[in-house]
Amino acid sequence: MNIQVLYGTETGNAEMLAEDIAAELEADHEVTAVNLSDFDPSAFDAGTLYLLVCSTYGDGELPASAQPFAEKLEAKAPDLTGVHFGIFGMGDSEYDETFNGGPKTLAELMIARGATQLGARIAHDASGAEMAEDLAFPWAEEIVGMAGDALGQAA
Amino acid sequence: MTGKIAIIGAGPSGCFLAQALLKAEPGLQVDLIDRLPVPYGLVRYGVAADHQGTKAVTRQFARLFERQGAGYYGNVGIGSDVTLDALRSAYDAVVLAAGLSADRALAVPGGDLPGVFGAGRLTRALYEHPEAEALPDLGPHPLIVGNGNVAIDLLRLLAKSPDELEGSDLGQGPTDWLAGSGIEEITITGRSPAAAAKFDTVMIKELGKLSGVAIRVIGAGESDDPEAQKKLDALKALEGGAGPRRITFRFGLTPLAVDGPGRAEAVRFATTDGEERLPCTSVLTAIGFDTPGDLPRDALLTEESGGRLAEGLYATGWFRRGPRGTIPDNRADAKALAERILAELRPDPSRPGADILQGRDHTDYDGWCRIDSAETANPPPGRCRAKITTREEMLSLARQEDMQ
Repeated sequence: MNIQVLYGTETGNAEMLAEDIAAELEADHEVTAVNLSDFDPSAFDAGTLYLLVCSTYGDGELPASAQPFAEKLEAKAPDLTGVHFGIFGMGDSEYDETFNGGPKTLAELMIARGATQLGARIAHDASGAEMAEDLAFPWAEEIVGMAGDALGQAA
Repeated sequence: MTGKIAIIGAGPSGCFLAQALLKAEPGLQVDLIDRLPVPYGLVRYGVAADHQGTKAVTRQFARLFERQGAGYYGNVGIGSDVTLDALRSAYDAVVLAAGLSADRALAVPGGDLPGVFGAGRLTRALYEHPEAEALPDLGPHPLIVGNGNVAIDLLRLLAKSPDELEGSDLGQGPTDWLAGSGIEEITITGRSPAAAAKFDTVMIKELGKLSGVAIRVIGAGESDDPEAQKKLDALKALEGGAGPRRITFRFGLTPLAVDGPGRAEAVRFATTDGEERLPCTSVLTAIGFDTPGDLPRDALLTEESGGRLAEGLYATGWFRRGPRGTIPDNRADAKALAERILAELRPDPSRPGADILQGRDHTDYDGWCRIDSAETANPPPGRCRAKITTREEMLSLARQEDMQ
């Protein structure tokens, strides 16, 4: 399967996790990890699974590297019908009111353009005891499993 | 590309720079040098003990040493153990990322009275920096001068009840000190109007979770700017509470003098309505940071342009930019500087690099891992870490393997 792990990061933590997820999946799939700031929203492709990894910054906002992507998505308004994605959020429950605001916004932007979200939006808590990859690797496997069916139908 | 780069300061800016350099050019030898035995600088000793999520960036930094081949040379003082000139001869490029750790002084009459304490001096003591001074008696009514995020960190820690420090790495001594502080009232004052206050809205919202306080916000005002208005709304939302500790936010107060005679007893301010005098039992200044003087920062920065100070000499982070900006802001600065260094680097294989540091009494990354394991193996209840607090104990732990 073709998989792109797209990350929105501010401190680099989401970037590291995205690279780890890509490394975890690369034995069985064609995987690349790409910064959202370097990704053109008109390049979405129905034959590729997109795993989005996104943090939250400031007062529940998108992280710096996701902001230009969000702006382009609004401006170009591509039709993402048939595009499948899963989304993994990184947040910090110290700031509980805005916890995981960034990935929520990103998922809504994708869905508004017609993309289909696979699975639930998972939220890792930087102030919790669990390591992000311990949540993210099983999540990625699960989404890849769901995508096997979904992408097959689309093709 | 090969080449040898020394980064002075293993705090977040230095680590992010090393990361960007090694990501672009894995063949480089990048060495991080710190005057403390332990790495991570501000993340360990400046980020608040109850902001463990912010400290998660150290997982990225650990990879520098574990996977990307960076070297760590701790317990190395510039000037005392090795000179900057010697490093510049030994490496193809040297980067100053030493941060700014000294408190900027409150430059008003009485600003140096007993009872006036810098925020850095207090937080270093709270976070158990090996060179910290003892935690002082603040009396029942400290007054904070400054309204950046450092001021808010200090306010929040002083206002927290013991159970609100669960999950932090605040040590036993500082925990006992907070519990016995006897603080009844904290006044926090800013020079600018509330709409222009430097703290982040999210830091203000976090104060809304404090359980043991009653908060008053005086003179917050309104703003036409939606971002500023969010800040004002967050401030106003704090008002109320029935806790025993009273917190008062004041704005538009420019310090004129600290009144003694023998010890700080009040601060006099200029306001738009004339002079105002606020009594207190101690004054905590959070008005920025300065160089501690181990490097001649002003002289070094005279030719500074985009992070370049001279041929093969660069600066990044707070050391270059001044005490402004969050960890991610300084990450962006470090990434930009990495591109510039790589464009200008002219590697000379005859340079000895870290060989000039060998034989000195330095700690390495394995030594830090032994300290880290000792700190996290068996923390007390409600704590995620029990820091080793003295340089001697750090050095003894770091060397344990070598001694066996």
